[in-house]
Formats: sequence, structure tokens, C-alpha cells
Amino acid sequence: MTRPIALLLLALVLGGCAGDASERGAVTLVFKYARILGPADPLPGLLREFEAAHPRVRVKGESLPWTSDEQHQFYVINLEGRSPGFDLMMLDVIWAPEFARAGWLLDLTPHLVPGELAPHFPSTVEAATHDGRVWALPWTMNVGLLYYRADLLARHGLEPPASFEELVSQVRRIRSAERDPALEGYLWQGKQYEGLVVNVLEAFWASGTRLLAADGTVFPEPARAAEALGFLRALIEAGVSPAWTTAADEELSRRAFGDGHAIFLRNWPYALDLFEAPGSAVRGRVGIAPLPGRAGGPRGAGSTGGAHLGVSRRSRHPALALALARFLTSERAQKAIALGAALSPTREALYHDADLVRRRPSLPAIHALARAGRPRPVTPYYLLLSATVQPEFSAALVGVKSPRRAIADARARLDHFLGAIR
Amino acid sequence: MTRRRRAERRRGLLLVAPALLALVALTVYPGIWVLWLSLQHRVPIFEVSRFAALDNYAFLAGDPRFWNAARTTGLFTVLSVALELALGVLAALALHGQRRGRRLALSLLLLAWAMPSVVAAKLFEWLYHPAAGLFNVLLAGRPLNWLGDPSLALPAVILADVWRTMPFVAILCYARLLTIPAELYEAAQVDGAGRLATLGRITLPLLGRILLLAALFRTLDALRAFDIMYVLTGGGPANTTETLTVYAYRSLFQMLQLGFGSAVSVVVFVLVMGVAWAYLRLLRGRTVAA
Repeated sequence: MTRPIALLLLALVLGGCAGDASERGAVTLVFKYARILGPADPLPGLLREFEAAHPRVRVKGESLPWTSDEQHQFYVINLEGRSPGFDLMMLDVIWAPEFARAGWLLDLTPHLVPGELAPHFPSTVEAATHDGRVWALPWTMNVGLLYYRADLLARHGLEPPASFEELVSQVRRIRSAERDPALEGYLWQGKQYEGLVVNVLEAFWASGTRLLAADGTVFPEPARAAEALGFLRALIEAGVSPAWTTAADEELSRRAFGDGHAIFLRNWPYALDLFEAPGSAVRGRVGIAPLPGRAGGPRGAGSTGGAHLGVSRRSRHPALALALARFLTSERAQKAIALGAALSPTREALYHDADLVRRRPSLPAIHALARAGRPRPVTPYYLLLSATVQPEFSAALVGVKSPRRAIADARARLDHFLGAIR
Repeated sequence: MTRRRRAERRRGLLLVAPALLALVALTVYPGIWVLWLSLQHRVPIFEVSRFAALDNYAFLAGDPRFWNAARTTGLFTVLSVALELALGVLAALALHGQRRGRRLALSLLLLAWAMPSVVAAKLFEWLYHPAAGLFNVLLAGRPLNWLGDPSLALPAVILADVWRTMPFVAILCYARLLTIPAELYEAAQVDGAGRLATLGRITLPLLGRILLLAALFRTLDALRAFDIMYVLTGGGPANTTETLTVYAYRSLFQMLQLGFGSAVSVVVFVLVMGVAWAYLRLLRGRTVAA
């Protein structure tokens, strides 16, 4: 109990000092974030609200570059150069351990009230934890899920598939009956980029294996991993997934499904709002389901994504920055963000909030899927891992390498680079 | 007299000094720093920092991803520059022979050249779209997997680059064509030279120097090509479009291997310097001959 009070005092003192120093008597907090796409960006309003509650504080919201890669590059250059001009930063869910290990983030553990993070999805808290300490607050949630054409499945008397084998047979059955050459089966993301790693990880989990074991071994079961990768390749070879899957990212596959040219799609929840928008070719004809597992294997799980808020360790106003992070991740703020944009909250209670459910009726269903979701490997060297396996996975998908060979090559490279770090 | 000359020299040095200092600070110092980094194992965020001598280079020598990137860079450079030069000359000749609408044609050419390569890449992403893209619509019924097929991705990237930079060559050549005196052509006509002979004996030889210069600029750019493949394919599929600069970028900013990534950058630097030197020698040789 004393900690928050001490923090508050610290904030007052810090605020006061800065106030005396500058003529206008204001502290400026700089918040780095990526612009939010949606009907209305709720962020500026929220920042003004925070300022109203903290009269001596001005918050400057600064946009990050567009893609995750460029954002990461921006942070690396600015934080390694030791002159970050910002206090609070939006982090992709895969960066928190890396930034924590690098000493760029303020350790939030001593400032947290017991139970403070309990309302958030456990997987989002896990992704923000490194070495048993918490380095960021969960802000937005994302999870991979299966979209299906409810009208097509109903017409053929089918239920959403529980296994990938079932999905394949449903694709065959529907396509042979529909006789529409433009109708693809199952769309997913196979371009050589982060999204490919996400899709392959989901295939690994569906086959009961992992990329990184708890003891740090990469590809603990290489044969199973190769089998899972081979299954993805077989989807393309058999025509269940189109040949261009090897160049598909989220948007390419989302548009094809949204134009009514596919039966199944793996994507994130943002796509649903677009499918249900007025004028959409598939409006009212789309269902969502958990990603299938493999027949006889464990249940499938979608990969989680989203963003965290972390306080820069070099911030001159850490207490205020933390207060801003707390405010932006509060139930009020997350609700405003979920209402204004196609982003899902990390607070589980909001998935059953009456106002939100009225606006986005799929939220309760997404809640169950998000709860079952799994984070990508939580490790400081995740990006090294991802950048190394991307070309190997891609090579297996396009048939340049056998899956077994691709896994072996990825392992050898990772052993080399990780050997120097560990 | 000598004192005056010495004073003049001193003043000259003084005047050059700011530029020289700026050059040292902006290129020589970072260059040496990257060279120094490349001799280390350095992953700052994991507190790895130790001298490695030539370890990074030794690893590169046996690194299939590096050799693949080197091959891709070479192929991309040779093919895209050759196509750009050929098409650029053709476009310049067409422009020169055109009677009306030259200004419009010039502006259209400049438009492509003025477009930032990221924008051009996005444009081509749409053109290569598997279902709705112009190329596949034209191929009606037999769509190609432009960016997802390991044998098509590099040609697709080259095509996009040629479209964007061919105008540079075309405009340089066009400017040179304008300065060729009309009497030369009249004389050729009097001597009974046909169109082909005029082209081969007069126009092309006179374009030679400017073409070499255009080739120099384009080659140096192509060797460092990054954004067009970064946006279009991200280096994929199966690394078939990953150039050395893309590899260096991934090593530096994603894998955070500062030492190793610097070694890749040094290789690119040496390559670029070597090619620039060869071209400059060629250019100098031609000046003497002409």
C-alpha cells in the first residue's frame, strides 16, 4: 500500500521540480505508438483525458513507423544510442523480453500492486515477463483464428472442422459440389516474414511440438516439426491452399476471403469487422472457430499477438510514465480503444461488457479463442530465432528444400548464433 | 613569388578543410568504425563484446545464406542494369525521333523516376496480385505466382526495378542526343549511310561515354538494392530475392548481430568500391582515347 503513495509523492515532487524549472510549469511525457486504424482513433482523446487529470503534465503522442520491423529498428537505434526522446513506448508483444534483457525497460515488478495484472489474459502477462519480473503492461490482444464461410458449410450440412484432416475433406467436398473454379479452399500466410513463423508455430502446436523447449533447446522434436512443416507444404501441393499462399500475408489472404473466393481463412480478429462491414461480399456469411488441431493430436491453438506498454529506463519521469501506462491499460481506456478501433482488449472482463458486445457481437466468442491462445516463444532472442527460421520455412513451403533438411539447417544456424550469446 | 604561392596554398587548404573534415566525420570515421566492429563478436543487448579477429569473415566464407545473397545481388545487378541500359537507349531514341508530345513523354518518364522506390514497390505489389493484378488478368486463365514462386520472384523484382530506373538512363541519353550536331547526320546521309549504319556508326559511339556513366550510377545503386525487394518479397520465397544489403539489414537490426552484420556491410562496401574503381578506370581510358 505504501508503494503507490510513495510513487505518487515522487510524481508530485518530480512534477513540481520540472514545473519550477520551466516557465509554463509543465512536464512533457513523450509516448511512442503506432497510429491505430479504425473508424476513429481514440488515442488523442484518451491522452487529453490523462492531461486533464494531471494538470502539470503534457503528453505528446508520437507516431511510430508503419511496420513492426521498422518500429523495432527505430527502437534499437534510439535505445542503443542511449538518447531516447521518449518515456513510454508501445511494444510488439514479441519484444518485451529482448528489451528487458537489453536494459532498456523499467522493471515494473516493484511498482505493481498484488493482483494488478490478474484481469489480463495470462498469456499476455507471460509475454511481458522475463527472469520472473514484469517489464510491461498488456495493452491490446490478438489471436489467430479460423474464419469459415458459414453459408457454404451449412449448404453442405457441415460443422466447422475440429481437425485439419477434416478441413481438407470439407474443402474437397464443397469445391467439387460448388464447381466454382475461383473458389479456393484454405487461405493462410506463407510469405517469408514474421506471419509465416506464426502460421508454422500454429502447425507445430497442432502436431504437439514446439520451436523452443523450456530448457532452451531449439526444435526439441525435429522429426515432428518436419512432419508439421511437410503438412503445410502438402496443403499447397494438393491445391487445398492456392499456390500463391507462398506470397500471402494477412491482407492478401484477407481480401481474397473477403471477396468471397475462399472457404476457410486463418487470420486475426481485425478481419471480422471488415467482413461484416456494409458492402462486404461476405457480410453475414462468416463464422469463426478455433484453429483445428491434427487428427488424434492435441487441440489446436492460435498464436497470440498484440502490444504492450513499457516505460523507458532512461525516462526522466518514470512515475508519471507508469501512471500513463496504467491509465491507457485501464478498463476505461481499453474499452474506449475497443469501441473506436478494431483492437481487442487484454482485460478479459471487457469481452462480456454490454456496450462492447452490442458493437462487436463476436467478442464473447473471441474471448474463448484468445484464452486458448499461446504466445510465440517468450525469449530475449525471439527475433534472431524468427529471422533465422523464416527463409528455411519458406524454402520448405516452396519445395526448394525438404522439410527435414530445412529444420536441420535452421537448427545448425541457430546453434551457431545462440552459442555466442548464451 | 614562392612565399605568395605558399600562402595561397595554405589558404586553399584552409578553404578545403571544412569539406574535408565533414567528409572524414561523415564517411571515413563511420567506415573505420564498421570495419572495427566487423572484427568483433558484438551483440550489445546480450553484453557480448569481444575481439574475434577474422571469425565473422571465416563464417561468411562458409555461410550458404551469404553466398546465396551474393549470387542474388550479382544476378540482380547484371540483369537489371543491362535491361535498363538497353531499354533506356531505346526510349531515348524514340523520344528523340518523336515530333510531337515530347514534353509529355518526358514528364511521364520523369514521373516513374521520381517515384520513391517504396511506392513503386507497392504499385508492383498490386500489379503482381495473384487474382486481381494486371499481369495475371492479362494472362487470363493461366495466372502466375509472381512473388511466391522461387524461380519467378527475382525476375519480378528486376522488372519492377527496371520500370522505375530505366527513365534515368533514357533522360541522360536523350540529353546527349540533343547535343549531337545535325551536320553529322547530314554528312552521313550524303555518304549514303542507312538508318542502321547511322545508328551503329554515329549515335551509339557518341552515346558511349554517357552510357558508361549511367551504367556506373546504376550498378552502384543495384549493388546496394534494398527497398524494392524488402517491400515486395521481404527477401523470399526461400531467400531467392535476398540481396547482401537485405542480409546485412536483417543481421544488424533484427538479429542484432552488430559484428557479424558489419562484416556483411564491409563486403558490400568493398564490392561497391571495386566496381566503382573499375568503371572509373574504364571512363578515364576512354577519355584518353577520345
